[in-house]
Amino acid sequence: MTPGKPAWVVLAGAACSLVSARAPAAQTTGTVDLGVSTVRYDGFLASGAASLTPAVRWESPRGLVSARGTYLRFESGHRSLQGLVIGSIFTPATSHWRGELTASTGASSYADFASFWHAIAEARVHLLGEDRGAWIGGTAGRTSYGGPARPIAAAAVGAWARRGELTLLGSANRTFVGDTAYTDLASTVRWRRGPLELEADIGARVWSDGGGRGVYGEANATVTLGERTALVVAGGRYPTDPIRGSIAGRYLGVAFRIRRAPLRSLATRDPRAPLVDGRASGGSASSAAQLEIKPDTGGVTRLIVHAPGATLVELAGDFTDWQPIALSRAPDGSWEAALRIASGVHRMDVRIDGAGWIVPTGTTRVVDDFDGEVGIFAIP
Amino acid sequence: MIPRLLLAALAVGLTGTVLARPAAAQDPRLERLEPSTRPLVAALIDSARAFGLPAEPLVQRALEGTIKGAPGDRIVAAVRRLAADLGRAREVLGAAASLPELEAGAAALRAGAAPAVLAELRRARRQPLTVPLAVLADLVASGVPADSAAAAVLALAATARDADLVEFRRAVERDIALGAPPAAAASVRVNAAAREARPGPP
Repeated sequence: MTPGKPAWVVLAGAACSLVSARAPAAQTTGTVDLGVSTVRYDGFLASGAASLTPAVRWESPRGLVSARGTYLRFESGHRSLQGLVIGSIFTPATSHWRGELTASTGASSYADFASFWHAIAEARVHLLGEDRGAWIGGTAGRTSYGGPARPIAAAAVGAWARRGELTLLGSANRTFVGDTAYTDLASTVRWRRGPLELEADIGARVWSDGGGRGVYGEANATVTLGERTALVVAGGRYPTDPIRGSIAGRYLGVAFRIRRAPLRSLATRDPRAPLVDGRASGGSASSAAQLEIKPDTGGVTRLIVHAPGATLVELAGDFTDWQPIALSRAPDGSWEAALRIASGVHRMDVRIDGAGWIVPTGTTRVVDDFDGEVGIFAIP
Repeated sequence: MIPRLLLAALAVGLTGTVLARPAAAQDPRLERLEPSTRPLVAALIDSARAFGLPAEPLVQRALEGTIKGAPGDRIVAAVRRLAADLGRAREVLGAAASLPELEAGAAALRAGAAPAVLAELRRARRQPLTVPLAVLADLVASGVPADSAAAAVLALAATARDADLVEFRRAVERDIALGAPPAAAASVRVNAAAREARPGPP
């Protein structure tokens, strides 16, 4: 902390520079959260707090670094400072495997008498499928609560699956911090549509020796208000974190977020979906259809839609003059049409059983000009 | 500067001037538009054509709005906006740009790619730019920072085949799916670093 300057002055200065300064590169983004919250740490009375949280994130194709600070002013007049720096590097992707190495260090202090710091490194191996995956990881590090540092060791396994814009994650962690040991079983549900992103966690701490036990759950919602602003609401109950020095408690907070860089969320794409000539997978919540695009002979392109349970599948796009075309049912249950589609970028939607037009996975989903979305794909 | 003239003309709306005259050779597909919308769209298309821009993408955009039940003013605005995008793309890519290139260029610009990148692509690649531009638009639209996407596509553009660029795009998708920035936090977020960035307790 800068000598002679109150903490809030330094954080406020950092926040202002994040919002107003021009970042040296487009892959650097910054946010500032201004919030109020109420928190009740276990064994303490409830307290209100105002918070200022600047964060900056730098990304490159092979890794990322992010830093975040939080200044909390409790209604008692006491203050808390938290800071965290974390970086990840990724190994080059193979067909299904990828490695990740993460290092983080952080510190926190409350009033003038409680302070923590930690430094940990985590290695993960990710196994990726089309719309699901799993990982296994190990963590080592040190943490200190005002005295000698204690060793940290942890092992974790997890899995995730995605269905449309709904993502489910489950994980199990066994953690040792000095002579404290505990196991956390956690699950997360995440859902995103348009400007709204919701996330909920529920977990349990079991087989604990010194780490506390119980069930906990948190939820947060982020509503994008504009290109540079969002509203974040978060609350719930969380367990003691012996690594980072947070005491178990309940909280509810609301924050106004200002982004330094405009969002790139006008479009989303299924990360596993091919641009062309491949099997689409995963996908958007609005999609019960998966599109496969296959070049055929004679300049014909086969469009194959996988829509389990459908009795009628139609598509329309700029290659059909936006006239609905009913697809033919194939023996394997998919639906397809063979069309002459010119080279270039094309827009299309799909309709299942006469319902509304939706964007099939396997295309890049972008906001159209009509308060909806449209799928885009390219034909070389 | 013709494109600037076009933008200005489209911005102020040519509807008033062209409403007075019937579209001489109106595309029959425009019959699907509402009667009140049809002459406005036809006027915009005529104006764009007069500036040498392709009419087909504009017709398609109007038809898209029609099938989606969009109100007439939204359809007109969408066509006007696309015409402006195509004008910008042609300004950057040159008058010799093909229709697919113009459409892909307009999509890339709309996604956030810088005009200078398109110009650089034109200089760097002798082959058609449709796929590089589509990949560029796709990457930017997917959340890859525009300069990172541009640098990657530019690095490949001079020598890579279209298939290589498509494969590159797939590799990036795999990176994203495996937790690489920038989309990991927005889509899957299983990487170890992402959890730290979530909203949390005080």
